[in-house]
Amino acid sequence: MTADGFQMLLEGAWITVWISLLAIALGVPLGLLFSLIRVSRLPVLSQIITLYVSVGRATPLITLVLFLFVALPAIGLDIDKYTASVLTLTLNTASFNTEIWRSTYLSFPKSQIEAAQAMGMTRGLYFRRIMLPQMFYTALPALLNEMTFLIKASPAIAVVGIVDLTRVTNRIASQTYEPLPPIIIAGVIYMLSIGSLVRLQRVLEDRRKRYASA
Amino acid sequence: MARPDSDPVLKALNITKSFGALQVLHGVSLEINSGKTVSILGPSGSGKSTLLRCINWLERPNSGEIYLDGEPVGRHPNGELMSDRELAAIRARMGKVFQSFNLWPHFTVLENVIEAPVQVLGVPKAQAIEQAEQLLQKVGLQDKRDVYPYSLSGGQKQRVAIARALAMSPRVMLFDEPTSALDPELVGEVLAVMRDLTREGMTMLVVTHEMAFARDVSDEVIFMDQGEIVEQTTPDRFFSNPETRRAQQFLARYQ
Ligand SMILES: Nc1ncnc2c1ncn2[C@@H]1O[C@H](COP(=O)(O)OP(=O)(O)O)[C@@H](O)[C@H]1O
Ligand SMILES: [Mg+2]
Repeated sequence: MTADGFQMLLEGAWITVWISLLAIALGVPLGLLFSLIRVSRLPVLSQIITLYVSVGRATPLITLVLFLFVALPAIGLDIDKYTASVLTLTLNTASFNTEIWRSTYLSFPKSQIEAAQAMGMTRGLYFRRIMLPQMFYTALPALLNEMTFLIKASPAIAVVGIVDLTRVTNRIASQTYEPLPPIIIAGVIYMLSIGSLVRLQRVLEDRRKRYASA
Repeated sequence: MARPDSDPVLKALNITKSFGALQVLHGVSLEINSGKTVSILGPSGSGKSTLLRCINWLERPNSGEIYLDGEPVGRHPNGELMSDRELAAIRARMGKVFQSFNLWPHFTVLENVIEAPVQVLGVPKAQAIEQAEQLLQKVGLQDKRDVYPYSLSGGQKQRVAIARALAMSPRVMLFDEPTSALDPELVGEVLAVMRDLTREGMTMLVVTHEMAFARDVSDEVIFMDQGEIVEQTTPDRFFSNPETRRAQQFLARYQ
């Protein structure tokens, strides 16, 4: 493989990484927000979120990104392929994260909430001080799991013309007629990305061990 | 606003509570005057916990009124429900100690104790820490201030929970079977702290199965059965000469 090919691979890797990270950074808090709307049972809004979650989880990424890329301009909203891609991955991962946050919220020990109420804490205060810090650690394994799925599913965005890590290996292969080296390198880069998430999980789990015996 | 000592700190009037078709409280009324300790006894399932939960509105009573220092709890005089914020403000003036401690596991002992004073009352952190250290000393746990709850014994957890409630300088302390979840050898250390509180003039409402505590420490005993108060009298009279058959049967089981 040429130095040129290598350069292309790194560029593709960079695109995969920043688009995925941006979608994760938006999708995790968005999922939390949506889950709170759902558990609050706010009329209409909560039903909209329920619908969004079932549609979001059922729609393939390719379908979603094509839809956004084609449909939004049709109603007069200009959208470039990068925005469409980030939006697609964010909407997809947020729908899964909504369910993760929701079940974490619902399984939070009532006894701790009652203690907080009995001490005179308002709902917002005990959510922020008592629930969220613990919910974060409880949700973490599932959230990180979802992040690895997102990264592995991200090649779907190539369909709107994004040259991500997977797409770039095809390009190099079609130029060099040697598909194996770029595929192997790309595989290693995916593994490293996901490996660093797993590592992050371990570091954060260790922090939680400060206060949990197991 | 100072009130004459003769006004009850806590007053419950005709509290009723049902869960679906099951009526758990049939019009319960009680009063506690400042500095008094009132014990509530009764068989399990008689509605003691529900009554305590209604008093600080962790459970919404179906009817009846509750007053803390003469101010209504849960509903305004016009019947309107209090907002979350109003309810929180009034709960902040009642301490509650739970059977299962309910400490916040992600906070150290000290953090558990200062959390509400700092976040709810706005006490400056340094001042809250100083007060918390005094309270931890009072319950005999000053050397545990920086550990997390999981490393404590049940008795130690409950003493932290008492310190946490006291940190709000409550007008009244509500205890719901504070020693029932403890190994027998740990019951004494918690009761000792509660005895100290009584002696210092804290106003306390204590649901308990510790007959010796109820007899020796309380100013008044309330005996509940099937969602109503059956006897309400001095500990001496209740233990030596219970009037009703239900109380006699109950005591026979505990002595
Ligand atoms: N949240 C609830 N939902 C349904 N039933 C309840 C609930 N809480 C308590 N009860 C019932 O109310 C009755 C009184 O319970 P409780 O107040 O806990 O009694 P005690 O504390 O005297 O043992 C019991 O029959 C119990 O099963
Ligand atoms: Mg009970």
